[in-house]
Amino acid sequence: MSRQPTIPLTPVSRRGVLGALMAGAGALAAAAVKAAPHPATEAPKGAINVLTPEEALAAYEAEIARLRAANISGTPVDHLERMRADLLRALSKPVAERRWVMVIDLRACIGCHGCTIACVAENKLPPGVVYRPVLEEETGRYPHVSRRFVPRPCMQCDNPPCTSVCPVSATYTNEHGVVAVDYEQCIGCRACITACPYGARTFDFGYTYTANTTSSGAMLGADQAASYEQVSTFEYGKPHARRDPHDSPVGNVRKCNFCMHRVLNGELPACVTTCIGRATFFGDANDPESLVSELIVKPNVIRLKEELGTEPRVYYLL
Amino acid sequence: MLNRLLYVAGALGLLIGLWGVYDRFVYGHMNANYGSYVVWGLWVALYMFFAGIATGAFMLATLDLLFELPLFRGSGRMALWGSLVTLPAGLAAIGLDLGHMTRIWKVYVQPNFGAVMAQLVWGYTIFLLIVIVSLWLSFRPQPSRWLKPVMVVGLVLAIFLSGGIGALLGVNQNRVSWHVSNLPAQFPIFNLTSGVALMLIAIGWFGPSRDPRRAQQLQVLGLALVVLLLVKGYYLWTDVSQALYQNSSHGAEAINLVLFGPYGWAFWLLQIGLGMLLPLIVLTMSPGRNSFVTGLMGVCVLLGLAVARANIIFPALSLPELQGLGDAFQGPHLSFTYSPSLMEWAVTAGIVGAVTIGFVAGADRLPLFARPAESAGTSD
Repeated sequence: MSRQPTIPLTPVSRRGVLGALMAGAGALAAAAVKAAPHPATEAPKGAINVLTPEEALAAYEAEIARLRAANISGTPVDHLERMRADLLRALSKPVAERRWVMVIDLRACIGCHGCTIACVAENKLPPGVVYRPVLEEETGRYPHVSRRFVPRPCMQCDNPPCTSVCPVSATYTNEHGVVAVDYEQCIGCRACITACPYGARTFDFGYTYTANTTSSGAMLGADQAASYEQVSTFEYGKPHARRDPHDSPVGNVRKCNFCMHRVLNGELPACVTTCIGRATFFGDANDPESLVSELIVKPNVIRLKEELGTEPRVYYLL
Repeated sequence: MLNRLLYVAGALGLLIGLWGVYDRFVYGHMNANYGSYVVWGLWVALYMFFAGIATGAFMLATLDLLFELPLFRGSGRMALWGSLVTLPAGLAAIGLDLGHMTRIWKVYVQPNFGAVMAQLVWGYTIFLLIVIVSLWLSFRPQPSRWLKPVMVVGLVLAIFLSGGIGALLGVNQNRVSWHVSNLPAQFPIFNLTSGVALMLIAIGWFGPSRDPRRAQQLQVLGLALVVLLLVKGYYLWTDVSQALYQNSSHGAEAINLVLFGPYGWAFWLLQIGLGMLLPLIVLTMSPGRNSFVTGLMGVCVLLGLAVARANIIFPALSLPELQGLGDAFQGPHLSFTYSPSLMEWAVTAGIVGAVTIGFVAGADRLPLFARPAESAGTSD
């Protein structure tokens, strides 16, 4: 595929580039405030804010104007910028009309595990919990040896085997098409883990990185590190602080959720933005102008274990 | 002497179990060895084992309390007692396995009945009530007209709940060694085998020595156990031979783990040798002749069944869903190898100890074998 993305063709508002830029700048500023880094110690009450369709549209128009201007001036446009514009355009549509998918280009993945670490940082995952490991496989024999790297997020199956086995419907496909876990509902029976054909779920056993480390005096930043481990994550749009070793999300099954708390704020998933090989793509497959729509019709696309009928939303380019 | 020995062993198990339960409640699941890959461990096997005995024992109770077979008259209460003692043990094991056991009420209030686990929770709750009610009815001095209808419902539930455990595993189409249509069909046979084995212990070790039917009961149950072990062995053969015929599927890997994996010795020595071959030989040669030995064969069969439960669960979960998953990310409880931790064994010892004490105490202190009509002198 071409390494130079095309600018989306969706028409821009007639207010013109400048007006769009100004309007968009305001919306972007508002969005930026909403999506600002989460305070280190204070968790917001209730649900986090998300972009409204109007805000998303304004931000999109600003973004597309900027991209067009860059295109005219000959500045290369990165895939991330294209996907960000795609994302804002998708957010301006009704929820039911979006279909989030992820595409992973195995030829471009260099196995740096940056996505794994970005995911751990974004979701403040404790030891033993992983949403997006990168599987490594060595093929061939010397001198013809190569390595293959397969990042494995949750496949967000359209026909997920993990949801039907939950005795209390704590895991389900939410309105965004993402397989979610209700931490307050989950009883921790782990039936969903046994049902997942991709091993995409892990159990939070309650570990912390800082437990049983030497006293704070002997380790620089020990107190800050300990408090960081208790900072809220915003999975599923709600703050989840890991402060009580016997309360959720400890004792729950956890999984990748396509960083919906970021996506609904106009940000790409953490694994996408940090991929240095630009191997991971994210967007709305219902939008024919989106980058992911171009990618998933390529003849070299596969999905893992398709024979099981799970209809994964994660596509791999070979 | 035997009773005293069992009481002491049970009390010792309970003591060890107290430490295990303390550890479980204070440190949660951190000191368990099951993890995010081998997600179900010793306690799930224990749940299947004890729940299997409970349903199997209930099936045996119907011989007396529902079908009124003269040979087994007076044995129904003992079978029900066995069911009553083992079912809570199984439920305790699975309860301790939950990440949030205090949320179990949600399965009753907000159930997803499409999930086999929810069906089992409801089913076993109803079944436990049926066991309690039928035991209470069987103790009444006058025969109750409600006893038989309750036993009918209980029998149907016992069969379906037995199959339900097979279905709990079998619905996972990604686990080839579980996802076979006859797995739920096998479990009622397994559980009936458990029930017969329990009754061999009950009658062989605790049955009234003056009862002239005792030897005949042991003989018939012993021969029934021989037949059941043969059927069980045939099931095992079909599982193994089909999986290994091409020796290339995921199912073959699981079977190879059972036969030749790190715990292959448990399969050959305990499940096959002690749990099948020895009882087959002893019970065929002299069915029911020596009541102590016959009871001991019941223990051997139960031990073999416990290992079989573990061999159904662990190997299937010990195979990575995707190649390379086991090495992709390092962390606690991210391993495809499993051996139970000390804490898991301690809790298991406690549960087994409690069951032993409960079972022996019932046989020792309650009039479980003698029915009022019989003690008044009625004979067959």
